[in-house]
Amino acid sequence: MRSSVATFLQQVINGLSLGSVYALIAVGYSLVYSILLFSNFAHGGFLVIGGYICYVALKTMGLNIWMASLLSLVGAGIAAVLTERIAYKPIRERTNVTLYLLIASMGMSIVIENIFVIVAGGRFRALPPVIPTHPVQIFNIATTSAFDLLSFVVALVALGCLQLFLSRTKWGLAIRAAACDLRTAGLMGVNVNLLIAIVFFTAGALAAIGGIFLSVRYTLYPQLGVITIKAFVAAVIGGLGSLPGAVVGSLILGLAEMLAAGFISSQMRDLVVFSLLVITLLIKPTGLFGKQMSEKI
Amino acid sequence: MSGYTEGIITLLCINAIAAMGVSLLTGFTGIFTLGHAAYMALGAYTSAILTVQYGIHWLPAVLLGGGVAVIVAYGIGVPTLRLMGDYFAIASIGLGEAIRLILENWQSLTRGARGYPGIEPYTTLPVALSFFVIMGLCMFNLINSHYGRSFKACRDDYMAASLLGFHTARLRVLSLVISAFYCGVAGALLAGFLSFIQPIMFDMLKSTELTAVVVFGGLGSMVGTLVGTLIITLVTELFRPISQYRMLIYGAVLVIIMVLRPEGIMGGLDGRWLAKKVFRRKDHGGTA
Repeated sequence: MRSSVATFLQQVINGLSLGSVYALIAVGYSLVYSILLFSNFAHGGFLVIGGYICYVALKTMGLNIWMASLLSLVGAGIAAVLTERIAYKPIRERTNVTLYLLIASMGMSIVIENIFVIVAGGRFRALPPVIPTHPVQIFNIATTSAFDLLSFVVALVALGCLQLFLSRTKWGLAIRAAACDLRTAGLMGVNVNLLIAIVFFTAGALAAIGGIFLSVRYTLYPQLGVITIKAFVAAVIGGLGSLPGAVVGSLILGLAEMLAAGFISSQMRDLVVFSLLVITLLIKPTGLFGKQMSEKI
Repeated sequence: MSGYTEGIITLLCINAIAAMGVSLLTGFTGIFTLGHAAYMALGAYTSAILTVQYGIHWLPAVLLGGGVAVIVAYGIGVPTLRLMGDYFAIASIGLGEAIRLILENWQSLTRGARGYPGIEPYTTLPVALSFFVIMGLCMFNLINSHYGRSFKACRDDYMAASLLGFHTARLRVLSLVISAFYCGVAGALLAGFLSFIQPIMFDMLKSTELTAVVVFGGLGSMVGTLVGTLIITLVTELFRPISQYRMLIYGAVLVIIMVLRPEGIMGGLDGRWLAKKVFRRKDHGGTA
């Protein structure tokens, strides 16, 4: 009995850790959704870009982990802004059909993934052992790895910083205004293009943190971005466009996935993810924190 | 006709049937999907299991393949299509992956990831061609019918359409169900063409390819979808040696089309327009 309690605790810790990494990805995705009202499928690409920049910085440039992470955050942020400028800006300036943005983002996601397939090759790469992964005892009940604790703490700090940025700064206020109504925010004198660039930079940088942690957890490969599907599902469970929703949804998903892996079978974890999505859509279609959409006529 | 040419034309017919299904949903009803390969997988596996394990004749098996896809699409469509926005797009990815995982893990029925061998090669060229012609005619009649116009109304202005009394949620589900049937039949035909199917053949890349073909051909143009299928299938065959660039080119094409010409190569044009154009040339603009 004791061993199953220990497994349970361990899977809860693992789940929270995985969920907090999903949260980093889901929050960026939700942020973009709240402003431009489309699913940015290229979001997974930003995560892969972040992962590869970190890998190159550590492996060939010989930087320490802090510099490598900083470089990776900035690089993924810039890549996100460029993606927006190249693929989305011309479309959103001409039409308001979000379907076109959705398709373009799918295209960008394929382009980014396959650039890495061609340039870096499809093989799996492990980051150099700069992030501690040794086991840690918690109150002598459960064992977890230092990496799980670290990723949980870093994710909390990053989300806290985002919260401060959104609630305490002038640009944070502008972003919250734009989430209500982008057009009106523009009429009130907000530089919409700069605002969208800031949003994409933030989303890209958060995805890069997620990318570094995921590439330590699962190794790095061009299709790593596919994991963002789970972050999208988490965002839908929490309510599309809601940042607290994205965080709560991600934690629920991470817990469900890890508990399924621990107690049912590890092949079932992806099915559990999808069942959660269907159950949410059946019971509360707008998600846990979703706004009730009222259409203006 | 050589076996190779025959194979290409058969494949073309199969791809065209699946693309018509996706075109109805994305081009005519305005619902973006990234999981339609799953319906192909359902059709393929249903038909394979029925013909191999139960010895049923292939024709009912193919139609039942479409039927299973319809049932699953209905179950998924009712909760997800009531919502606007991108919920369905995300749910469709999740569904696609879930169905592939189930097929991979349900060893006793599907033989898992190793694939399902020994399917009777029932999809000959005449079979594929007749399926294509019949389903194509049905599709062209559908999009020019009352239903086709209702789908377009839902796509162009959801709010106005419901105010005019269209049951928009029901129409969206209907569109999904029909498109799932087309993909299911295409999958069943593919199983009979290749004699061997594997869950990995119906992954997200296949779904993306289906959507890419439709976007490339032009949203809201069935002729464009067929032209798009023709071009993409032939180009894929021609550029087989550089296949690692294929997906990169697909992605870039999606972005470039959305940026430069979101209506695709044949956007807004349809069979009727072509016919009119040909007619006019013949009688020197005599009819108006």
